Amino acid sequence: MNAPVANRQKLVDAVVETVAGLLMGKEQEIRLAMACLLARGHLLIEDLPGMGKTTLAQALARALGLSYSRIQFTSDLLPADIIGISVYEQASGAFVFHPGPIFSQLVLADEINRTTPKTQSALLEAMAEGQVTVESETRPLPKPFFVIATQNPATSTGTFPLPESQLDRFTMRISIGYPDPASERRMLMGADPRLQLARLRPCVQGEQLDLLQRAASKVQASEAVVDYLQRLVQYTRSEHQFELGLSPRGALAVLDCARAWAMMHARHYVIPEDIQAVFPAVAGHRLQGASDVVQRSGALVEQVLHAVDIL
Amino acid sequence: MTIQPAWQIPRSGLLWLLIAFVGVVIPHVGHLPPWITAGAIVAIGWRIQVYRGCWGFPGIWIKVALLALCIGGLLLSYGLLVGLEPMVALLVSGYSLKLLEMHRPRDALVLVYLGYFVAITLCLFDQSIAVTSYILVGLLLVTAGLAGLHQTAETTKHSAFVELGSLKTAAAILLQAIPLMLVLFLVMPRFAPLWSVPSQRDSATTGVSDSMSPGDFTRLGRSAATAFRVTFAGPMPPKRQLYWRGLVLSDFDGRAWRQAVPWGYAGNLVQWYGQPDGSWRGDIPRSAASLDYSVILEPTQNQWLYALTPSQPLTEGVGLARDHSLVNRVPVTGKREYRARFMPDSPRDLDALPSIRHFVETRLPPEFNPETRRLAAEWRAEEPDNEALMRRLMALFRREFTYTLEPPALGRHSVDEFLWQSKRGFCEHFASSFVFFMRAAGIPARVVVGYQGGEYNPEQDYLTVRQYDAHAWAEVWLEGQGWVEFDPTAAVAPERIEFGMAETLAGEEEFLADNPFSLHRFRDIPWLNRLRLQLDYLDYLWTRWVLRYDGVQEGLLSRMLGAVDPVRIGLFILIAGFLALLPVLLLLWWRRAGNPRSPLEQLYLEFCRKLEKAGLGRNTGEGPRDFAARASARFPADREQIENFSRFFERVRYAGSVDNLEEDRLRQQRRRLKRFRPGAVRLLTSKSA
Repeated sequence: MNAPVANRQKLVDAVVETVAGLLMGKEQEIRLAMACLLARGHLLIEDLPGMGKTTLAQALARALGLSYSRIQFTSDLLPADIIGISVYEQASGAFVFHPGPIFSQLVLADEINRTTPKTQSALLEAMAEGQVTVESETRPLPKPFFVIATQNPATSTGTFPLPESQLDRFTMRISIGYPDPASERRMLMGADPRLQLARLRPCVQGEQLDLLQRAASKVQASEAVVDYLQRLVQYTRSEHQFELGLSPRGALAVLDCARAWAMMHARHYVIPEDIQAVFPAVAGHRLQGASDVVQRSGALVEQVLHAVDIL
Repeated sequence: MTIQPAWQIPRSGLLWLLIAFVGVVIPHVGHLPPWITAGAIVAIGWRIQVYRGCWGFPGIWIKVALLALCIGGLLLSYGLLVGLEPMVALLVSGYSLKLLEMHRPRDALVLVYLGYFVAITLCLFDQSIAVTSYILVGLLLVTAGLAGLHQTAETTKHSAFVELGSLKTAAAILLQAIPLMLVLFLVMPRFAPLWSVPSQRDSATTGVSDSMSPGDFTRLGRSAATAFRVTFAGPMPPKRQLYWRGLVLSDFDGRAWRQAVPWGYAGNLVQWYGQPDGSWRGDIPRSAASLDYSVILEPTQNQWLYALTPSQPLTEGVGLARDHSLVNRVPVTGKREYRARFMPDSPRDLDALPSIRHFVETRLPPEFNPETRRLAAEWRAEEPDNEALMRRLMALFRREFTYTLEPPALGRHSVDEFLWQSKRGFCEHFASSFVFFMRAAGIPARVVVGYQGGEYNPEQDYLTVRQYDAHAWAEVWLEGQGWVEFDPTAAVAPERIEFGMAETLAGEEEFLADNPFSLHRFRDIPWLNRLRLQLDYLDYLWTRWVLRYDGVQEGLLSRMLGAVDPVRIGLFILIAGFLALLPVLLLLWWRRAGNPRSPLEQLYLEFCRKLEKAGLGRNTGEGPRDFAARASARFPADREQIENFSRFFERVRYAGSVDNLEEDRLRQQRRRLKRFRPGAVRLLTSKSA
């Protein structure tokens, strides 16, 4: 095993460990979030309130040394509230752009489905393009730029659920879920997470994150693994229990995340297990069961993995 | 503790089982008591309600009550449960009850098997093409039920009300079975049934019966069902010779003619085929003119056969009776094929009749028909010559009588009333009164019943005789000529003999009154008539080559195999079965060949096979690392080998490029894999331990 590969794994492990110190017993979810970040994707967390979505986002920002802002989405939020606004300054006699909260490296978009489609699409556009255009002036967003959006599946009154096309822009969707009793007990017995968060020190400095992202994109995906991925994708498109198959963007996202996952596990090549590890999170929200198949999308994804062989 | 959820029958399976139930039971409805049909409908409704969650399964006491009801009902309907129909009724009621008892997969399987069984019992009632095709449909439906049981919600699409997936699966299964079915059909020896199928209750509704009383033949005139089919080895004799003798009736009780007790004959009564000729057969010289023919008789449940007179049987199990009719050793319960030789010029019973026979053939009940007896005696005095007397009676018939299927009803002295009052009737009246008159004049005479004529299919060269061709004629014994057949109907209605019943009576209301839409009514429309003949031919082929195949089989087998013995038949079934299934195998192979495996993949599959033999199979979609971890945990002793191999596989397949895989590395791994025995007991280690 060559040194850089091992170093990268150590680096990622350090970040995961740090975050896991706050969000106890959720290592798998943290790793998925990391993989998503390393694949330069955006993350959608769908979970009940109080499960640690914000903690995850803040801890990640801290551990990675990223600038962080949080936008609480409400129904009266306007695009300008996110992107920023030009204000006339009497002192200089000119309009000066006041950047909105989106000009941060890690943006937590809380309860994204509570706001109007107009505002949603402003965020999603920024996510897709890595830049915003305000008053015919294009402003690049900071790099790396990582959005963690959350939505609450329990209360759907007065919400604007994201349509499939916009769901597709999120590389991954995960849910955190309740901690196991032991982890919860440790959390309850331990120090206040808010205090811990303030004490958190970044594990990654300066350019390192960018290097990691670059290394992830260079992980080798052999023909055999691409074959396997294509068979998975083909299965979702040809079998009748799926209303919608996996889009090419979805397929690419699976491969990118699998690459990141392989790198996180100190490998310079992708194996089927990498694909299987990220597939539910990447494909789950893109696949839709046929209208009359009453099933969770999770079960559908599991079905794909069990039906398509790796050979 | 885990709670075991109740087994839920897959919706598709239940639906197809119900459809199959309906499809299989419906054709039986005709011969089942109505209460069983009603019960079956209730059972279906109940089962559907159970599925919808509205009703529950019947409890133990309700089931006991239903069982008691069914048994009681069967006993009431049939008495002792002997015979075909009671057994089928029992089967169908059990089938219905089982529907209400489907708690486990095993119960559903029982239902499936019952379905197959009920479907096949249809064969016991009818073996025509239509019914056989219907049975195939029934098999398809039941198989769809079977397939549906194994199709879970994930594999079927729920958008349609009826899931056609199960039907497709079933069709694919049955299609694959067809080659094997053909082979078994060709080769499987036909065993005689171990027990004879008890005859059906209502089987005597068509066909000639063993007595002749007024009205019998009107009933036959209503039916166009096939009685038998004949193929001739040479040119067909003219229609006026086609008298198909069935029974000879010598005993008259004033109303009906019956077979007489065979008194007064010397020697055996029936000369079976293959037996040395009895003394009484000496009077049939081997005449020059003879014609072989072959008859396929529809089931009659009776022993007598139909043949031209005089004929000699050429088939095992067929005999010639003393009255020159052919008989079968056992009642004809299925289609029967037999061959015979027609010898038109040979006289019968040339020697003077024994006195007892003479008495039997001239005996009349004294208290009936005084007028006819008186007149016969009068005529006898005027005409001492027998033939002249007959000619005179025939002239009377020709002059004053009318042939009709709707004669007026006759009273106690039926012959008197017919001869001197109504003068309207059909074959049975003419035959009966002719014979009565002859006997009254002292001439030995008797009635012969059977069929006359038939419809010739010119394209396919065979003759179809139908129920409406049923006929009765007379036979008189004349000094120096023996028994001579004589048809008084021919004198009145010669066209009946020349053109057949259908032509003569096409306009009459009674003719084919039972089936008003029979194709036989439309013989004037040429294309319809041709269609009818084609359908008839199809049925003939079916009978000849499928139902009566056992006759052909022996010759066919001995020609193919040289000699027929169990070993050869077994070998043939094996080889032919393999050849028949070969296309399926080739198809499967070809499909796989479309996606060839690389040497590396083959090696890995071999690795998986070895582990699977040791009891640990790789799941579909399981990656090599996961599988290796599972295998190492299961076979700790082989951990090193397992991990080495899967690491090699992973490296080559996913880290490098498969193209520059060096051959000898692959060979080396192949050698190692050969020695790989996962889970094997190691003697050495166990000894040292």
